[in-house]
Amino acid sequence: MTLPEAIAGVLPIGGVAGEIVAAVIGAAIIGTIMLTNTAVAGPWAKRKITAAFTDRIAVNRVGPFGLLIIVADAVRLLSKELIVPEGVDRPAWDLAPMVLASSALLGFAVIPMGSIFGVNMQLADPETGLAFVFAIASVASLGLVMAGYASNNKYSFLGGLRAVAQNLAYEIPLVLTGLSVVIFAGTLQTSEIVAAQSETLVSLGGLAIPSWFAFVNPFAFVLFVLANLAEVGRNPFDIPEAPTEIVAGYQTEYSSVYFVLIYLGEFVHIFLGGAIIATIFLGGPAGPVLPGFIWFLIKIWAVFLFTQWARSAVPRVRIDQLIEIGWKGMLVLAFANLVLTAVIVGVIA
Amino acid sequence: MSLEEPRPPTESDVGVTAEGDLDYDELADLLGDHVVDREQHVNAEGFVIRPDEVEAVLSTLRDEAGFDHCSCVTAQEYQDRYESIYHLKKYDDPTQELSVVVPTPRDNPVSQSGAGVFDTAEWHEREAYDLVGVEYEDHPDLRRILLPETWQGHPLSLDYNQDQPQIVPLREHANPMEKRTKVPDDPDTMFVNIGPHHPATHGVLHVKTTLDGEQIADIDPDIGYLHRCEEQMCQQGTYRHQIMPYPDRWDYISAGLLNEWAYARAAEDLADIDVPEYAQVIRTMSAEFSRIAAHLLAVATFALDIYGDFTAIFMYGIRDREVIQNILEDLTGQRLMFNYFRLGGVAWDLPEPREEFFEQIRDFLDEWPERLEEYHNLLTSNELFQLRVVDTGVLPPEEAKSYGATGPVARGSGIDYDLRRDDPYGYYDELEWDVITDDGCDNFSRAVVRLKEMEQSARIIEQCVDLLEDWPEDEREIQSNVPRTLRPDPDKEIYRAVEGAKGELGIYIRSDGTDKPARFKIRSPCFCNLQTLPVMAEGEYVPDMIAALGSLDIVLGEVDR
Repeated sequence: MTLPEAIAGVLPIGGVAGEIVAAVIGAAIIGTIMLTNTAVAGPWAKRKITAAFTDRIAVNRVGPFGLLIIVADAVRLLSKELIVPEGVDRPAWDLAPMVLASSALLGFAVIPMGSIFGVNMQLADPETGLAFVFAIASVASLGLVMAGYASNNKYSFLGGLRAVAQNLAYEIPLVLTGLSVVIFAGTLQTSEIVAAQSETLVSLGGLAIPSWFAFVNPFAFVLFVLANLAEVGRNPFDIPEAPTEIVAGYQTEYSSVYFVLIYLGEFVHIFLGGAIIATIFLGGPAGPVLPGFIWFLIKIWAVFLFTQWARSAVPRVRIDQLIEIGWKGMLVLAFANLVLTAVIVGVIA
Repeated sequence: MSLEEPRPPTESDVGVTAEGDLDYDELADLLGDHVVDREQHVNAEGFVIRPDEVEAVLSTLRDEAGFDHCSCVTAQEYQDRYESIYHLKKYDDPTQELSVVVPTPRDNPVSQSGAGVFDTAEWHEREAYDLVGVEYEDHPDLRRILLPETWQGHPLSLDYNQDQPQIVPLREHANPMEKRTKVPDDPDTMFVNIGPHHPATHGVLHVKTTLDGEQIADIDPDIGYLHRCEEQMCQQGTYRHQIMPYPDRWDYISAGLLNEWAYARAAEDLADIDVPEYAQVIRTMSAEFSRIAAHLLAVATFALDIYGDFTAIFMYGIRDREVIQNILEDLTGQRLMFNYFRLGGVAWDLPEPREEFFEQIRDFLDEWPERLEEYHNLLTSNELFQLRVVDTGVLPPEEAKSYGATGPVARGSGIDYDLRRDDPYGYYDELEWDVITDDGCDNFSRAVVRLKEMEQSARIIEQCVDLLEDWPEDEREIQSNVPRTLRPDPDKEIYRAVEGAKGELGIYIRSDGTDKPARFKIRSPCFCNLQTLPVMAEGEYVPDMIAALGSLDIVLGEVDR
């Protein structure tokens, strides 16, 4: 039973109207949870994590552990002037931040987030769930191109071009690697993929190792995590932004609310990347003792932490090197992985 | 320049005696009728030549006498003439110096350009034209370099009216892009202004860039945004006290003491001032601290360019630099603008209690190898880092010499040139240390050279501390006798250089019998090193150009002065 169905069950309204209201309430709940995560991640956690990597303390004055910086930053960012440069191509320029932010949020619709207090936190569970996630995550590329092209700025333009080149080079290996999991699980439905990972792989001295696909096929897992770094644009693949080269890439001309939306979109995108990794490789919300939903949050935060770690420690590669790694390395490996998986699954099953 | 053969070793150079000293008579014979007159400068002899024979004289001196380093071009105006001086040296032995003096009449200050012989002369002559007003014939691109194009007059010429308001009518520059920029005919290229406000230019540098896709088709560094008339200010200050604070403000990234030494050395040699040995040891030690701090920031910001703005390396660099700044603060009372050197010594002795101060330094030295190891782990051993910087931004040694590159930039191109060893001053020749070179010629070698030089600097500091600890208490003389008002003899000229953080930091002073210099010219290493950027960057990708710029380690305060 998905979250809207559960809500519809307790609502006094019945029929289609009830379903619609329940769906809206469910979406609002999930959306709020993810946005809260982002709000914690952006102004606070990211600073704290980077500070920990660089021997600093970071925000600690506003509120306990500096947590109220989230409020302060929100007020600060929203009260800034929205500068609309001359010659920008409206409405594409205005739409880009919204596309970026909303596409990432939409992806969470089909992610099984486990249950808490007996409620299953999943908005929808279509049979083509995984395909939907990949498709919706790719819409962000459209936002990048719109932002880069409509800004009427050469740095934005370069950033937009880089974003397209990068996404082309990495989306295909990403999807192909995801496909190998689909072959294992035999389904595109996200809840089924999670269910397929719940069996015990091996028992080591009483400790049951679940058959998470990260353990079943660690090679695909590593490949996917790397491609995901490029997908969300973090080091070593933060080339579309590359502040020391092209100022801020596609987001150079955005300020105030639009800037917040773009940043929000980026962070939600990282979390969405984490959610996909958790779902198809880390057993979704599975985990001992704690409720599934908490485990799900822990897993997406772990992926977020990984991206920040890469940011602090890994150099950015050059655009031509990235394309080379993508087309000559990752794509070949992804195909090899896919074929191998298909053969193994075909032989065993 | 790059096509010429490597020149033969020093022994076969014309004008060198068996002992390795310069024989100016033989050099004069070599030049024959070109030499109109000979002058005695404190550092070298000056050959006066005719303004239309510059190129012939310079190329003869370079090809046959081995003067392959055009260190600096000084221009100045006298009551009756203009004068350009080409300070020539040899990379193999910088103590072999020669000045080529080119006087031009006041009513027609036109002189032949030396840019055809030494590439570095191009920017030096542009500066001479900009500030003094000497014009150079056959110069490839003679336009203002430090001041805006609309500037009226030449500020260092004698009849310049400083009160004249500079009116810059915008209508003259209604479409500045069209006028200033060579817009390429090729429609496939795109023009981008990188800077003057850009995260990667390390200050207010403006790089006019023509891109072909992501590749650099053409770049032209545009400098002068941080020009603060440092030369003129020094000419208005007295030798004894008023000039010393200025050098701190040239290369302001912690290299202050090295800059102060440049002025101290030139002025002390000009006025025959001795420096007590004890003060020399303190100078050597504190200057090397400055060098480590400056190199740390160079490496840290280089990492920033390669890794992106959240790299841990930058903060690690700042953290370690903080330790050095604390030590220097205890010594000099200041963290950035030290003003610690005095003519004839230093301002005061080491802080009391001395044991505590030494312990602080020892603690730093004990931890230093571990810290350096960390930088090597994070930077030079990182394969992705190597992927980015090895074989990018290549600067061949011949080009480096022709552009007058010095310091870690030259040593990263395999040129074994370090004034601390080759033209010893201070206490360096009494100490055990090595000059680091690397034959890679790329961005990677320049970073490696800086990292290894920090190790050598720590060696120097350790030996200095050993010496200072055992120095007898009654011989701790920090300052020699210097007249309160210093008036060097009139018409003495000197060009002296020290090894600054970025390379050869030279100063030319001409005295006129008063207590202020008649001409004060700064040879900035960053200024010369920055000229090599087009060589390194053209044909490369944008990120490599940024990396090359980072590996040059320029400080705009020193480029623009």
